[in-house]
Amino acid sequence: MLSIKNLHASVEGEEILKGIDLEIKAGEVHAIMGPNGSGKSTLSQVLAGNETFEVTEGEITLNGDNLLDLETEERAREGIFLAFQYPVEIPGVSNLQFLRTAVNAMRTHRGEPEMNAAEFMKLAREVSKQVDLDPAFLKRGVNEGFSGGEKKRNEIMQALLLQPKLAILDETDSGLDIDALQVVSKGVNALRADDRAILMVTHYQRLLNHIVPDYVHVLAGGRIVKSGGRELALELEERGYGWLGVKEEAAPSAAS
Amino acid sequence: MKPAPTLSSAFLEPGGHSLPAPLLELRRQRGTALVDMPLPTRKTENWKYSSRYLKLTDGLAATLPATGKDGLSLSLPGYRVVFRNGVMVPEASDFPDLDGILIQRFGDLDDSDAAALAERLDNTLDSRAVQMARLNSARFEDGLYIRLDKEAVLDHPLFVVHEVTGTASGSAYPRIYVEAARHSQITLVEEYLSSGDEPVMVDSVTEFTLGDGANVTSVRLVMEGENVQHIGATGVRQAASSRFESHCVGFGGPLRRHDLMVRLEGEGGECKLNGVVVTQGKQHYDNHTSIEHVAAHCNSEETYRNIAADQSHAVFNGRIHIHEDAQKSNANMNNKNLLLSTGAEIDTKPELEIYADDVKCAHGATIGQLDRKSLFYLVSRGIGRREANTLLTMAFINELVEQIPVQAVKDAAQLRLNEFFDQTFEEA
Repeated sequence: MLSIKNLHASVEGEEILKGIDLEIKAGEVHAIMGPNGSGKSTLSQVLAGNETFEVTEGEITLNGDNLLDLETEERAREGIFLAFQYPVEIPGVSNLQFLRTAVNAMRTHRGEPEMNAAEFMKLAREVSKQVDLDPAFLKRGVNEGFSGGEKKRNEIMQALLLQPKLAILDETDSGLDIDALQVVSKGVNALRADDRAILMVTHYQRLLNHIVPDYVHVLAGGRIVKSGGRELALELEERGYGWLGVKEEAAPSAAS
Repeated sequence: MKPAPTLSSAFLEPGGHSLPAPLLELRRQRGTALVDMPLPTRKTENWKYSSRYLKLTDGLAATLPATGKDGLSLSLPGYRVVFRNGVMVPEASDFPDLDGILIQRFGDLDDSDAAALAERLDNTLDSRAVQMARLNSARFEDGLYIRLDKEAVLDHPLFVVHEVTGTASGSAYPRIYVEAARHSQITLVEEYLSSGDEPVMVDSVTEFTLGDGANVTSVRLVMEGENVQHIGATGVRQAASSRFESHCVGFGGPLRRHDLMVRLEGEGGECKLNGVVVTQGKQHYDNHTSIEHVAAHCNSEETYRNIAADQSHAVFNGRIHIHEDAQKSNANMNNKNLLLSTGAEIDTKPELEIYADDVKCAHGATIGQLDRKSLFYLVSRGIGRREANTLLTMAFINELVEQIPVQAVKDAAQLRLNEFFDQTFEEA
């Protein structure tokens, strides 16, 4: 489904990603782990099409199509979804209006009729229950005054509404207490499907206790330095990153 | 040194529409006083940013002809009074005859009402501050006098539509005077429209006087075309415990200027002034507001938002003057500005003069652009650029649009806003 070959990306002239190769097939769950500053978030942002980052070399294809030719909104319509590490607060745009506009943009792209306000409200209420978010949040400004956990649940709610082909979860576990972590994990597990891939970017392995990955990759210094199965995450928790020759800024299990 | 330019004598000739004698006499006196009136220049402080947009060519001096209702298509709900080129069109107007409420065009006033009005006209305006309002007083051809007796309540909003027809060049001088006695209540909507494309100047004045406990809501929608320079003034005087609310929504033109002056003259008075201005192309819009806290224990709340696209230019000047005896005044002024292009310009200036010592007075002004992170967040959900930019721009003014208490005005403003968004934002 997603194929990344020799991807190099820079921000303001500084190279952050220095040759990433990654293949993700439909139905798979991949985790990318690594110390701070290794390029994890950059990879997520580049996949979503953030123009702050410049791709200088390499290619990314989604089901054979060149992703780098597409604008951010086109990538989203083709099925890329990024759950933000820091969801943006947008006062003045109601969450409901935002979600409905997004869902209808996708539906229009697929040639389906738009949902009217009443139809969408019904759907939104159901999905908000799935992530344990009070429907009252629908009326508020996008992420406005939401707690960290509420913002993350709102991200997962969007993934459930938009039903992407590839969901990229950028540090979705950060800032969550154990209850919220369970709710979010439940939502992510509900996303797992044979025709969908999930890419989790995380600093800590505790999320992987709840969402079990098929593959784990260690990203360090802008490159994937080690790949393995789920047992690699456990090994990282035991031994840190040092044994991989990676400078440790923080042990992966330190705050879990 | 070059002498300051003065108003061309061509502007001192009013048209020939019939008016009651006391109003003709007032107009004559005001006209005499205008001889050699200096025009605003770059050096005139309150016209610093706008004088270069003011083009008073002699062609504008002609009074636009009264036209009747030909070609007029209006479908407004509720009560309406339609003026074309400053003269009322009775066939297009529809308003009730209610006990305790006088709604009458200047031309139809009887001698005693006309005399009463002539005594009051201009009494809410500081003539030094609003030069162009003085020209209106010398030139109005007609007008609307609204007088509410004590405790009279107008049960629906009254729409006053001022249309100018630009089939020939000239000027119009719309005039409204509202006298709201003790505990009376009215919502007045002023809509400024135009047709045709010859150069036209609209010089409008609206005045409100509020008795004790009166409650007046003023809604002002300015949507004239690119051929129209509009200079408008609104003067308000408030007695004790009265409440005045103003909602101004304006779209730019070659020149748009509005002076809004409120005097809180009795204890416990309250005013709320909201404004939304949108400019594009090479348009210009200048809002000058002044709130005078003359009496103690009054509240004022002012919120203005400017959105400037392309090479347009918007100005906000907000003056708050708290007089020595106005203790316990509470004044809040907030002006936020959104620049949608690198070629746009917005000038904002809060002016606070505080002579009392026990007051709360807060002001804030910001100028910014649409937030790139917010835009990325929206488009990352599949929302198109145009729609994402529209959502973010609406977010900037939503709070004010929502507060407009008349649905028909909200709808008309939203339609025009949508046109603006379509013209301003590109899909990718």
